[in-house]
Amino acid sequence: MAPSTKLTKQEELLLQDFSRNVSTKSSALFYGNAFIVSAIPMWLFWRIHQMDLQQSAVVFVAMTLVCTYLVAFAYKNHKFLLKHQIAQKRGEAVSHEIMKKVEGDKKMSKQEKEERILWKKNEVADYEATTFSIFYNNALFLTFVIVASFYVLRSFNPTFNYVLSMASAGGLLALFSTGTK
Amino acid sequence: MSSSPVLFAICVALLPLLSAGDSCLSPSVKQKVYTTTDSTASIESVVLAEFSITCKNGLKDLSLYAEFEGKTAPASRIPGTNTYQASFSQDHKSLPSGTYTMRIFDEEGYSALRKVQRSGESTDGVKALYELPISHSGIWRGPVIQSECVAALVAVFVSYMAYSARSRLQQS
Repeated sequence: MAPSTKLTKQEELLLQDFSRNVSTKSSALFYGNAFIVSAIPMWLFWRIHQMDLQQSAVVFVAMTLVCTYLVAFAYKNHKFLLKHQIAQKRGEAVSHEIMKKVEGDKKMSKQEKEERILWKKNEVADYEATTFSIFYNNALFLTFVIVASFYVLRSFNPTFNYVLSMASAGGLLALFSTGTK
Repeated sequence: MSSSPVLFAICVALLPLLSAGDSCLSPSVKQKVYTTTDSTASIESVVLAEFSITCKNGLKDLSLYAEFEGKTAPASRIPGTNTYQASFSQDHKSLPSGTYTMRIFDEEGYSALRKVQRSGESTDGVKALYELPISHSGIWRGPVIQSECVAALVAVFVSYMAYSARSRLQQS
């Protein structure tokens, strides 16, 4: 008899936990955050670099959308990288806590307890990886934008400065997130 | 006629007395002085004095000259008034904060001043019509640390914190 190619529900869940795909909720969080952080430099170029908001609206919108995509891409990659490391790091503490909770429950089988631990471990790692990825990438993105716009590209005119600093910040962020470490 | 040379000599002798009426006697002056306060907006320090002068002997429409730190310039009269303006500009460095004097000369004093200047002597001895005290409070040279530098430093610091937190997570 040929081995069954159909995956069990458990296997599917496990695959989902360790895949690069993110849930819709997570995706919305990523894109929402990426949009906010990509829109912030608009203020900098409007108020400090004296660009006109209406005249440069097309450039502002285009670069904000491009950067939203790039930053969200970086969030996703980073989350995937961090999730396993966080799961390993927090694993012991999570299992200890769950075991303490279900210790008295005689009805629960050992397998069920382990499943609970795995589920909780996944949840904790997912949450921490998501939030940390957002923090890390936001900090890096804004640093790139500030350094590029004020120092590297200071002699350029504001429109060029905006396009180049946003593109380089988003590009570098996306590039760094594709590393394996 | 033999009396005409005598009359001419008398006239010539009296001329200085008549011309003495052209100089302003015991002038009373009201002044407003502006000096540059900000180096970020101006290339040089400017001293600008606006003064109105009233003579005891009622002289009006005087031609006045101002001298400041060795430089001279005509003071321009605001038409229809008795108010004059004189301005000088110098490097920020050569005009540190302190009290200075702007000397005002009438035509007579000015020609005496030019004469002394041409001969390379000190101009201190030339009597000015009036001496305007100028108090310069110095200039603001802009913030020591630029605000973009502060922003960049804070951003780099936060990024460093994020990076080190990530490194700690990755140590297994």
